[in-house]
Amino acid sequence: MTEQNKNHMIPTACKIISIIKETDIEWTFRVESNFKAKHGQFMQLSVPKIGEAPISISEIGDNYMDFTLRAVGKVTNDIFEKQVGDYLFLRGPYGNGWPSEELKGKHLVFITGGTGLAPVRSLLNEFYDNIDRVKSITLISGFKNKESILFKEELKKWKDKFKTFYTLDNDSIEGWNCGLVTNFVKEIDFNSFDNNYAVVVVGPPVMMKFTGLELKKYNVPDENIWMSFERKMSCAIGKCGHCRIDETYVCLDGPIFPYTKAKNLVD
Amino acid sequence: MNKDIDIKKLRLNCFRQSKEAGKFMLQMRVPGGFIDAKYLSIVQHIAQTYGDGNFHFGTRQTFDITGIPYENISEVNKYIEKYIKEVETCICDVNMNTIAGEEVYWEPQSGYPTIGARNITACIGNYHCICGNINTFELARKIESIIFPSHYHIKINISGCPNDCNKAHMCDFGIIGVAKMEYHPERCIACGACAKACEKGATRVLSLNENLGRIEKDECCCVGCGECVRACPTSAWTRKETPFYRVIIGGRTGRQTPRAGKMFLNWATEDVILNTLKNWQKFSAYVMDNKPEYLHGGHLIDRAGYKKFKEIILDGVKLNPECLVAENIFWQETEYRSNFNVKRP
Amino acid sequence: MGYKFNFAETDSLFCNILEKYDVYAPKRFPKQGRYSDTDITRYSQIKSINEIEFNQKTDYSAKEVLTPVNETLFYFTENEFKESSAPKKPILLFARPCDINAIEIQSKIYEENGEFSDIYYSRIKNNLKFVLMDCNGGDDTCFCTSMGSNVTDNWSIAIKQLENDYLLSIKDPEFEPYFQNCEKVDFLPNFVEQNKVSLTIKEIPNKEVLNELKHHHFWSEYDKRCISCGACTICCPTCTCFTTKDIIYSENQKVGERKRIFASCQIEGFDTMAGQKEIRNKASERMRYKILHKFHDYKERFKTKHMCVGCGRCIHRCPEAISIISTIDKMNDAIDEIINKNIQE
Repeated sequence: MTEQNKNHMIPTACKIISIIKETDIEWTFRVESNFKAKHGQFMQLSVPKIGEAPISISEIGDNYMDFTLRAVGKVTNDIFEKQVGDYLFLRGPYGNGWPSEELKGKHLVFITGGTGLAPVRSLLNEFYDNIDRVKSITLISGFKNKESILFKEELKKWKDKFKTFYTLDNDSIEGWNCGLVTNFVKEIDFNSFDNNYAVVVVGPPVMMKFTGLELKKYNVPDENIWMSFERKMSCAIGKCGHCRIDETYVCLDGPIFPYTKAKNLVD
Repeated sequence: MNKDIDIKKLRLNCFRQSKEAGKFMLQMRVPGGFIDAKYLSIVQHIAQTYGDGNFHFGTRQTFDITGIPYENISEVNKYIEKYIKEVETCICDVNMNTIAGEEVYWEPQSGYPTIGARNITACIGNYHCICGNINTFELARKIESIIFPSHYHIKINISGCPNDCNKAHMCDFGIIGVAKMEYHPERCIACGACAKACEKGATRVLSLNENLGRIEKDECCCVGCGECVRACPTSAWTRKETPFYRVIIGGRTGRQTPRAGKMFLNWATEDVILNTLKNWQKFSAYVMDNKPEYLHGGHLIDRAGYKKFKEIILDGVKLNPECLVAENIFWQETEYRSNFNVKRP
Repeated sequence: MGYKFNFAETDSLFCNILEKYDVYAPKRFPKQGRYSDTDITRYSQIKSINEIEFNQKTDYSAKEVLTPVNETLFYFTENEFKESSAPKKPILLFARPCDINAIEIQSKIYEENGEFSDIYYSRIKNNLKFVLMDCNGGDDTCFCTSMGSNVTDNWSIAIKQLENDYLLSIKDPEFEPYFQNCEKVDFLPNFVEQNKVSLTIKEIPNKEVLNELKHHHFWSEYDKRCISCGACTICCPTCTCFTTKDIIYSENQKVGERKRIFASCQIEGFDTMAGQKEIRNKASERMRYKILHKFHDYKERFKTKHMCVGCGRCIHRCPEAISIISTIDKMNDAIDEIINKNIQE
């Protein structure tokens, strides 16, 4: 075991406790783990014989971790074959995580697109349970259509304490808005936040880019905005080079970046 | 123009009859089509002094000098003595005092003793070309002394690689330089560049095995072009040190039955090629009963039949272990007269 | 103090060193080049000093000794993992100053980037000593002096090959005893002071200029010229990128290995995530990514020299004859253009 701790490329076997089928192609795997992780960090998740991929942690418990995966590649496809009691192989945690301390005591706006909700889910749940730690929470969460909605129970629950805008890009169901998340930025009264606020944006690159531009229309200062990046990685410890953008290594310096930095990260 | 000229004798002397009576075209051999550029001044001198001042790139890579009047021929023959000696004797180690291996005195000032075995043509090969697997003209020079001088006709074309720019498929005995490849899996990054190159430019024998992170090869259908070696960024594919050759026989153009040649040998070594060609005179003599006719090799193979050809041409030749030999050959001819093969028995 | 001994003596002098160390050095592999009848030189374990190629820059760099093209990280069986074993012996590596400097540059990434050191790299590097090879100034692709990588004092032994002898200088006392009986001469290594070509690199003053430079039209030239083969990064002594890959020995077995393989930012798919589009999907963008890493990004991260050591291998290996020197010249012009434009605005 000490040998394994020394070698940062060797993963540890972790048993799958439960599998929640959020959508047809996005499932949440809960695994037993003693890894100490922060909200917004990621793990290298692997299946020996198939390979390894960086996956953000979507919930952290005392002795478990959640990963919400979409079956889109070799590794994730194989994970979808697993059952409760099977093993996933983990190493990590990696990355900087959300600046939890910095976010405390502020009005927080979370804008997420699709699976971008996963990396902020654990943070949202922590603030839900400790709502006194923040001034307020606004959640704008968008999905493509009704089939792709994640964390349905939590979305419902969060409505109690958060101001929520749930929207579908091109679908309409009861209780949901229709349109892109960027359409709802105007609903936020940034002036009322007394410049004591932060905006967290996570989603596909295009969504983050346009949300960033939209926020600028409302004069949201760059330093108030945070984004989480996703890049290809093979090592997650700053060696393999895949995630590098200029002098920045997403695995080491990210995946969370203040917009002051993120806006200059041109691949 | 009223002269008594032995046209056939002059043709044997490498002067070709022209449509203008009494004018001839000299064809100077350039084995492998490659030669020191200094000889161009000789060509220029002949053309300007004895000919009509013009020059043609012979279709068999000879220097062709047009418009030489009959009365200049003996002067020209004297002038080219130096060229013949330097090219044939010095460069190619040809014994000019033989015809088909038999000792026959050659008068050095009499020009070429025979047109029989035609000039060996070659592409530039790996002297220059990035695709070439062999040095084509060096091979041509080695073959020259085996097939020349001889009254038996043979057209040999050498191509440096299976792209066959020099049309080994369209002559009696075509030689194509091929390479046996070696795969070094420890250097392979599984980028698949070789497989793509093979798919695009060769016979699609490579594929990436995802489980092993390695390239797999269908050895059987590899044409030995070396495109994989060229495409590989890590030198995971390399050519084996020994070059190999493919022999294509029986190709021809012509009025009656043009056809592309067929593979006779594959993965033969240079020794095998040279020793096989050493049997060419014997084979020709057998078919034509020791009387050379103006008949090219492909027709000789037809007359003898492939099996007989194979028997004689490989007689005493020790084949290298990699070498494959055609069991049979099934020709496909373009017949301009569909009943060409139907003859009175 | 130095030593002199002739070729015949070397094997007996080095036999004890070769016993104790795995010795790696440039070696010639005849006819394994990209084109036929060309050689490659690359690093390989040697059993005799006389095997070493002293006179030519290697096609591939010394980094292959520390990080092989394919390297097993660990073996797995069901839920258990076994780290691949480290080399049993320490390594003695013959290298020129550019390659020694390059290894120091790589070690910034492998050992100092982030909180974790790469154990596979360190377990070799910590057991490695350099034999500094005298450099004759390289060829017309070398520009080490421009990059400040022409000099190093990171060596245990320095060696120079003469016509029949070797000159040796020893800095590491461990090696003194082996050569005590040799002829003593004055010899200290010389370092190249001038290359045939040189390069100046314009500083990129800020992020605005950097991001404008990324979109400058001059890069588009490489969409037409670069074939994204990755040869430049494979041979580069400072490129470290790799991809991990799981290998299974047979379909139904539960055993296998995870290895890492050289990756190249120039090859399609380097940045492609599962289910997503490639980010840099044009040759020009990949080229820009590589060039800026070598001549801006690395320096910006580690606050040290530029990443490129000026060994010129990328120029030498590029099948499309793209010279990094002229790329930098063009980039310099583009930087000037952007800065001047910004001043005017």
